[in-house]
Amino acid sequence: MSSGQVDRRGFLRLTGTGVAGLAAYGLLAACGGGDDGAGGGASSGAAAGSGAAGASAGASAGAGGSWDGNLRVSMSVDVTSLDPQKQGDMPSVSVANNIFDFLVTRDADNKLAPGIATEWSSPDEKTWRFKIRKGVKFHNGEPCDANAVAYSINRLKDPATKSPIVELTYVVSAKAVDDYTVDFEMSAPDPIIPAKLTLFGGVIVPPQYIKDKGDAGFAENPVGTGPFKFVSRQQDQQIVLEANPDYWGTKTAVKKLTFLIQPNPATAIAALQSGEVDIVTSLTTDAAAQLGDGAGASVKIVPGVREYYVAMNTLVDGPLANKDVRIALNHAVDVPTIIKTIMGGAATRSATLLPEPVFGFDPSIKPFEYDPDKAKSMLADAGYPDGFSTKLSSSSVTKDVVQAIAGQLEQVGVKCEVNVVDAGAFKQLLVSGDPQAIGPMYLSGNTGWTLDGESYLQSTIRSNRRQSLWHNKDADALVDIEETSLDSDKRKDAFAQLQQMFVDEAPYIYLYYASNVYAISDTIDWTIPTTGSLAMASAKGK
Amino acid sequence: MPAPGPSPVAARRRALHLGGGALWLFIARRIGQAVVVLFCVATVAFLVVRMAGDPVKAMLPENATLAQEQALRHLLGLDKPLIEQYTSYLWGLLHLDFGQSLFFHEPALDIILGRLPATLQLSAAALVFALVVSIPAGIISAVRRGRATDSSVMGVVLIGQSTPAFFVGIVLILVFSVELKWLPASGIGGFSHLILPAITLGLYSMAMIARLLRSSLIDVLSEDHIRTARAKGLSPSKVILTNGLRNASLPVVTIVGLEIGSLLGGAILTETVFSWPGVGRLTVEAVTNRDYPLMQATVLFLAVVFVVVNLVVDILYAFLDPRVRLS
Repeated sequence: MSSGQVDRRGFLRLTGTGVAGLAAYGLLAACGGGDDGAGGGASSGAAAGSGAAGASAGASAGAGGSWDGNLRVSMSVDVTSLDPQKQGDMPSVSVANNIFDFLVTRDADNKLAPGIATEWSSPDEKTWRFKIRKGVKFHNGEPCDANAVAYSINRLKDPATKSPIVELTYVVSAKAVDDYTVDFEMSAPDPIIPAKLTLFGGVIVPPQYIKDKGDAGFAENPVGTGPFKFVSRQQDQQIVLEANPDYWGTKTAVKKLTFLIQPNPATAIAALQSGEVDIVTSLTTDAAAQLGDGAGASVKIVPGVREYYVAMNTLVDGPLANKDVRIALNHAVDVPTIIKTIMGGAATRSATLLPEPVFGFDPSIKPFEYDPDKAKSMLADAGYPDGFSTKLSSSSVTKDVVQAIAGQLEQVGVKCEVNVVDAGAFKQLLVSGDPQAIGPMYLSGNTGWTLDGESYLQSTIRSNRRQSLWHNKDADALVDIEETSLDSDKRKDAFAQLQQMFVDEAPYIYLYYASNVYAISDTIDWTIPTTGSLAMASAKGK
Repeated sequence: MPAPGPSPVAARRRALHLGGGALWLFIARRIGQAVVVLFCVATVAFLVVRMAGDPVKAMLPENATLAQEQALRHLLGLDKPLIEQYTSYLWGLLHLDFGQSLFFHEPALDIILGRLPATLQLSAAALVFALVVSIPAGIISAVRRGRATDSSVMGVVLIGQSTPAFFVGIVLILVFSVELKWLPASGIGGFSHLILPAITLGLYSMAMIARLLRSSLIDVLSEDHIRTARAKGLSPSKVILTNGLRNASLPVVTIVGLEIGSLLGGAILTETVFSWPGVGRLTVEAVTNRDYPLMQATVLFLAVVFVVVNLVVDILYAFLDPRVRLS
């Protein structure tokens, strides 16, 4: 735009800016609301902006090439606490991921890999045993041994910690058997404990340091074993880390790592364009479209782990109690078009409730075809030739998607009164345990950062769970198998049967799993984690 | 020789000299009223905050169980009877203890005080910008009333008042950060970080003050004592700056006071656009998280700001216009 003449792209960019600016309003309601556990990866946007979405910038216009090791990452929300056991949200764990290590980690192929634990096994149903890596030290020089690991788990479980981390429900306590072996005592079998230790609950904290400094002192000046050391923090402004020269694992090419808190995506993109940041995270495709070509940066869209669906209350008499009606509704929603036009391509169609990257996903199960004529005739056969009226709720974060779904359902005669609620209030309704409060149909999502199918089903499928709106004894039995069996083949089989039932019974309308959208400077190379976490140690100059 | 019109300056001197006791009584009465207001705000904040939703549900992930929810609620003391929570809250307030933020695990007052320097810095800069631009603009428009200068100055001012902060902010960023690369796009730092957010935030106040000053000055300039002053042969600029401006400043002082209040608490959009770590964003975060103690503390903080600013304005007013004290 230096020529002063506003061309089409310049115009798109400016209008995109307006849209992104408006998003600041939405942000006031949505930021930190927890509706989007995957770092705000899931969202929607104006269809107008999607034309330029996903366009990667071409040649680097800036003075690329040499990079000084100073990495600046923009994120939209600040961490709630730097004490990794006193937070339960993705932005916080994303930062913690750089300062701390976890018992287990994931490799580039998303397979479980050794972290602070080098190997693990379950000698019996009530025990998990972890061998601890030797020679690891915290940033203050304190040794990270079995004692530190046991302390970390017990601190998390201690009611006085008031931790919002919920995954280690069945862990009673941890005990150091010798200097490098820790046993978890379990109240019930939990086959995916290693997966649950890759983030949140698996963090290892320094016992002596916390004893000396107290909880508040630790949160103010956190010390871990991770690839970066904490330097400073200004709340709602920035968190500064520096490389840990004594790191036990692969040393990072990053010398200084700064997380900048920039709640407005338009500002974050402008900061990238003016060279103030290197990576912008938690974007939407329409906000990313503002970047344009030749900006010295490009947009990366990476499949994430947040799965979206429309839940239907099958427990009350009426059309939704009829499985043929539910199958018809699945045929009535044109998910590929929603992904293309509203999501700007930043999502992948799902056959049922499990996204492809997670354990238990069955590739043989295909999504419902979009077929409105079939939907109409199925509705007629089920006794609803003129359709019916219902109510469809959604968080404000997914308001455009829910409008599109309502429009498509109307095409087959199902009139939906759309009820869009602020993200924070929607979560309150969702977890209220009262199906009447949220209405007969609602659009929602699940984030399964454990990359295991269990996380996607645990609060919705089994009849005794709070968000269960479909009761089926066979499904309950299968959930029991995948939640408690230590035999991974049996679990896989249970997941496969469940997914087949999801197709046959259609308790949900299946949609998509959202991608995470980033804008990255052309000078930086970074392997983006599938979970949406911001582990930055792999970043390097190009 | 008769004085040129009823001079408020002379009246003020007289009143200050004679009525010191009355002034103190006035101030004491105002402080008493402020305490009652703050108590009411504290009570309303306590109740409204509890109607906004459940912080435990906001803290835990979607897949938490009912048992986990109840356990955390108990740990946070949110399962206690409301009256017990209320009395311990009031008791804490008397000791300046606003409670511990549920999300940040820090005392709510400390969190607010931590954001205060950023907020004060931005508000002060915005106010300076607003005054420096609005006073000349208002005077020029009033003096050149109805001419081209008046309509063009007021036109620009009107645009300033009607353009939302997020739009102005983004346009300034695109021009001065992205294209010209003169100023940083976001964050807090040196003076250069302050310029764009201060203009964005101060624009609305600037426009409001300029328009008010213009109309107030126009009214004053048509009064008899001004005509008398002019008839005496005082220079036009002296008439406007001493006789005119002094009398036109009363409503402006009130508005500036109120604007200080909204600058301190209402900079949410500007803070969001420029990633400025102020009290406004903190308030939004507290509400989003249903963080009861922090919500209560931010509401009370804003109430204190408005009450104090109003008190100061009232007192200032009493100095400027002794008639206020008599009412």
